[in-house]
Amino acid sequence: MAIITISRQNGSLGDELAQYLAGKLSCDIISRAYAMEHFFGGESEKLSDSARFFLTEVPGRPGVTYKDLLTEKIIKEADSSGKLIVLGLGGCAMLEDREDTVNIRVLASLDTRRKRIARRYNISEEEAESTIMVGDRKHKRFVSILFEQDLASPELYDLTLNTDDISVEECAAAVLALLEKKNERLKITSQTRSDESIDHQTVTPVFKNETEEEFAKILDMYGIEWMYEPKTFPIEWDAEGNIKMAFSPDFYLPKFNLYLELTTMDQKYVTKKNKKARMVMELYPGTNVRIVYKKDFQELIERLKQFGG
Amino acid sequence: MKVLDGTVDITKKVYDEEVIAARVKELGARITADYKGKELIVIGVIKGSVYFFSDLTRAIDLPIKIDMIGFGNIPDTTSRTGVVKITKDIDIDISGKHVLVVEDVIRTGLTTAYLIQNLEAKCPADIEIATMLLNPDRLLMTIPVKYYGFEISDSWLLGYGLDSNEVGRNLPFIAQLEKKS
Repeated sequence: MAIITISRQNGSLGDELAQYLAGKLSCDIISRAYAMEHFFGGESEKLSDSARFFLTEVPGRPGVTYKDLLTEKIIKEADSSGKLIVLGLGGCAMLEDREDTVNIRVLASLDTRRKRIARRYNISEEEAESTIMVGDRKHKRFVSILFEQDLASPELYDLTLNTDDISVEECAAAVLALLEKKNERLKITSQTRSDESIDHQTVTPVFKNETEEEFAKILDMYGIEWMYEPKTFPIEWDAEGNIKMAFSPDFYLPKFNLYLELTTMDQKYVTKKNKKARMVMELYPGTNVRIVYKKDFQELIERLKQFGG
Repeated sequence: MKVLDGTVDITKKVYDEEVIAARVKELGARITADYKGKELIVIGVIKGSVYFFSDLTRAIDLPIKIDMIGFGNIPDTTSRTGVVKITKDIDIDISGKHVLVVEDVIRTGLTTAYLIQNLEAKCPADIEIATMLLNPDRLLMTIPVKYYGFEISDSWLLGYGLDSNEVGRNLPFIAQLEKKS
């Protein structure tokens, strides 16, 4: 599940980025033109002319404004298709409560945008600047009236891209990488809600020892995505329901839905870890935990020196 | 043993040619039954799987396509350990097709996991794994090993594609090494 909202300055290549991402993700783009044609029918002219008209009630639906209708339609499309790009329309403000949204702001320097617009429409740079100013003002006004938010406020966005020196393809690669990471994180967060495990994903990895650091390097070498101690699984409770024992596996490999716990220690600790791993798998069905033993680790380190099957 | 010429010390034969041939025939028959009517592409992993791949594909009685993939550890300026990269990619389009990856041996499964990740990006219908040797006790990754020849323990093995410093791959049987040289 993913919704990408793209807010863009005129001439910033935001539209081109939306098109490129839609091709990559095989999904639809909800733009102003799309919304007017598919959501509002007869009222589209009034809505196009005046942002304030969005705050008036939809005939036959007391208490529901055109703004509410726009939000409702976009959420419905997102829920039915599973992925969607919202281009403009104040998407980031509209969907700010949804955690499955990645909010992107695309901008560029005035000089770059002026040149792009002048070239695209075959007009002078002065005319291009005036077009840009009018467009930017309209966008700002729309978001301010509908959502009482400042479009230029950086807090609204997860990622801001300046296209002065990076291409549409490079921007798309950044957005897709962020989207993938966020989806992995959401998967764990949603599991945490449905069971009693504890989510630690906002913590920056601080490895407890060199072994963990080396292991992370091995995973990086193979291009295998990992998260460090993303979750704690309570495994024993006292009579009052307080947690008595918990287990936080060292690594999670989202692609393989697999938790790995490293051990380079004494056999007695290994036995304890094995027991904890077994308990996690019993108490949290669908959770895979494997122990990486000293010999596994040594063999992997060996591979770094002499690479082989 | 002439083929080794004293370069490597072998303790004993673990699987001789007849045992290997019989097992490969069984696996070929199973794969033939499982993929009947389906478009199957069999991909061998260079270099270890070369003999198993060659025998197994000839034991599959279906109009399969074959290809090979190779990878290695490439030095990288941003990483002290280097990165694993595909050194010989497949040439056949596998999108929407059934893929069977053929390995010589799977221990931790990390390299196989790496290959699967790469092949999945080419959108095949599905990917399954066939390996001559599998060490289930050491398997870390959740990878789809559907067919395997023999289960092994931690001993160092040689022959039928497996090497010791590149020597011994061409032994027609699988032998146990004194210790890894």
